[in-house]
Amino acid sequence: MISFEGQSWIILPLILPLAAGLFCFLSRRWAFALSLTAALGNLLSIGVLLNQFLDTGPLTYNVGNWKTPLGIALRIDGPSILMLLMTAVTGLGITLYARGYFAFRIAVPKRIGRHERQERFFWPLWMTLWASLNGLFLSADIFNMYVTLELISIPAVALAALSGKPASQIAAFRYLLVSLLGSLSYLLGVVFVYKTYGVLDLVLLSGKTASGAGMAALALMSVGLLLKTALFPMHFWLPPAHANALAPVSAILSSLVVKGSFYLLFRLWFDVFASAVTEPMVNILGTLGAGAIVWGALQAIRQKRLKLLVAYSTVSQLGYLFIAFPLAYLDMGTHWGTVAFMVLAHACAKSAMFMASGTIFLHAGHDRINDLAGVRSYIPVTVFAYAIAGVNIMGLPPSGGFIAKWLLISSSINSSQWWWGIIVMIGSLLASVYIFRVVSRFFVIPEGYKVPDRRPHSPLLEWPALVLALIALLLGLIAPYPLHILETGNSLFSMVSPKGLPL
Amino acid sequence: MRRYSTHNKRKRLNPVLLLVLLLTASLTILLGRAILTTDYQTERLGDDVAQFQKLSGVESPVTAVLLNFRGYDTLLEVMVLLMAVVGVWSLTQAPFPGKPIEPGPVQLAVVRLLTPLMVLFAFYLVWKGSSLAGGAFQGGAVLGGACVLMLVSELPWIKNIPSRHLRIGLLAGPFVFLGTAILCLILEGTFLAYPQGWAGSLLLLIETACAVSIGLTLACLFAGGRPKDDLSRGRKR
Repeated sequence: MISFEGQSWIILPLILPLAAGLFCFLSRRWAFALSLTAALGNLLSIGVLLNQFLDTGPLTYNVGNWKTPLGIALRIDGPSILMLLMTAVTGLGITLYARGYFAFRIAVPKRIGRHERQERFFWPLWMTLWASLNGLFLSADIFNMYVTLELISIPAVALAALSGKPASQIAAFRYLLVSLLGSLSYLLGVVFVYKTYGVLDLVLLSGKTASGAGMAALALMSVGLLLKTALFPMHFWLPPAHANALAPVSAILSSLVVKGSFYLLFRLWFDVFASAVTEPMVNILGTLGAGAIVWGALQAIRQKRLKLLVAYSTVSQLGYLFIAFPLAYLDMGTHWGTVAFMVLAHACAKSAMFMASGTIFLHAGHDRINDLAGVRSYIPVTVFAYAIAGVNIMGLPPSGGFIAKWLLISSSINSSQWWWGIIVMIGSLLASVYIFRVVSRFFVIPEGYKVPDRRPHSPLLEWPALVLALIALLLGLIAPYPLHILETGNSLFSMVSPKGLPL
Repeated sequence: MRRYSTHNKRKRLNPVLLLVLLLTASLTILLGRAILTTDYQTERLGDDVAQFQKLSGVESPVTAVLLNFRGYDTLLEVMVLLMAVVGVWSLTQAPFPGKPIEPGPVQLAVVRLLTPLMVLFAFYLVWKGSSLAGGAFQGGAVLGGACVLMLVSELPWIKNIPSRHLRIGLLAGPFVFLGTAILCLILEGTFLAYPQGWAGSLLLLIETACAVSIGLTLACLFAGGRPKDDLSRGRKR
């Protein structure tokens, strides 16, 4: 009677955080234990899925046993398993860090009520957000992806407003409006797709020929997703929303949430509507990406507050993902390889950076960069984590960021579009300016500096950031492995015959 | 004089606004052109739905799509509604007045008459959802209306409802839906694959639970914040 088959593992990354989120809303005492169990179970099931995937190639699962086009299919191929893995590892780190963060804040006798409220609502929101991110990476149905996008943005907005400060509430409100506008634009695109082609499944869609309405649909969906991904000049909402949120929330928003909409965008452009994409279109996105790299980095250099600096660095780093569009267009087949490293390395490094900034803020009581000299005397691990994450953002070897930039530059030379390579180098140079500006202050202890009284804190406040930063750093050493996963995964969309039906 | 000009309703068109207007107009024209020049796929999924209708356990095609064929979407949508309430609760406390205001006798009489009727009608809508238009969302909306009616009448017991009860009510729909889906996974081996012959009754169970949660969700969104005792248990430590 009871049957749990091997293929059922695919649904666990969705069920576990979702159920944990529901129970966290009900019971406060068990919230962390439940979340941690869900995070570990999620990691385990993704490990099993990775194993299955490497054995048998792409996996497909029909929810409710209804075959496409009637039902919804879940699919795992190379890019999606990498995304799931990234979310699982980063999410586990953030879960542990959040525990340390809230415990530290609640231990302060001041304003306990506020901190308890934040912790109380953090767990259900974060678990549901996680489930919907997993749902997005698993899904192979453009309407189902819309629903997951909604289920990402509502908790994300609520999390951004959780700190309760007016600045964060205003930023979160703006984020809500932008996010809704993006969702509606995407939904309108889905309507066009369904009207035109009569199917919603990605694989079935990828074989259709593009028409006028199909192009309109692609444009509408892309604009919506670009708004959500905060590509320059649509990035205006990102720095205040990310910088004013609580530290674990900033890490979630900056390292995971923007990646969700980017993943969907890249998938639409290069896997589903690949036949409709033309060179001018990818060049527009590449140009905007170049603008993002330079503008974001220049703004980051100008910032006086640490968290704003890190947030602008996200704007800049997202630019690299869009430079990959013109490069991937001429280098089809390896297109996921060019972005995968950037996404993975940035997720780990940026969450480490936000966690480190949060810890520094908790200890120093502020995050004014000019007054942060000497912090390494009392939180050395955190400062070390920040510096290592910085190595990654700058793109020095052997970090994952280095591999990402190396792939971008070599691909730009191979496809004779050297100008993109130059932008990448300029971006790295500017990144080193804003990283060193902070790190050089951290490591100097001014003369006559008195170490302030430090409150004891749990190791959870420092070590998750360091481990994530080290993962990002060592990603470069295992570079062939993710590429191998991607090569296995490309077969999903190449299975499609010209007529548009899977063989 | 500047102050008076803001009262003037006729605003001047500034160049930026004009540009945006122009761009929007051209976008509309482009979209219109795209719609008009495309050959539509006339056969969409309607035939498939009709073909599998018998297996779905309900007679209404809309309910079959929402809860069976694409039940996974609806499960996530129900979660979206719950998250909206969690988000609102995380922001602020419900702004109920400190002193209860005595509602007028006419209003009380109307509430006493209408509320049971609305609740009855809500569940009728849920019941009818299996064959006609109706279902959890419609029933939930009516139920939400009944709750809002009681909220605006400021019945004194409303704001003393313990937050734990509210939480359980809000979670009933998502719990039953997810629980059924997991039960299907365990018994049938596939997420959300209802066992043969049980689909109709399971769908009714899910719809009823979801209607209660949706009604409460709407009422909580109207109340605009978490109940007063929501965090008090934690503070007593």
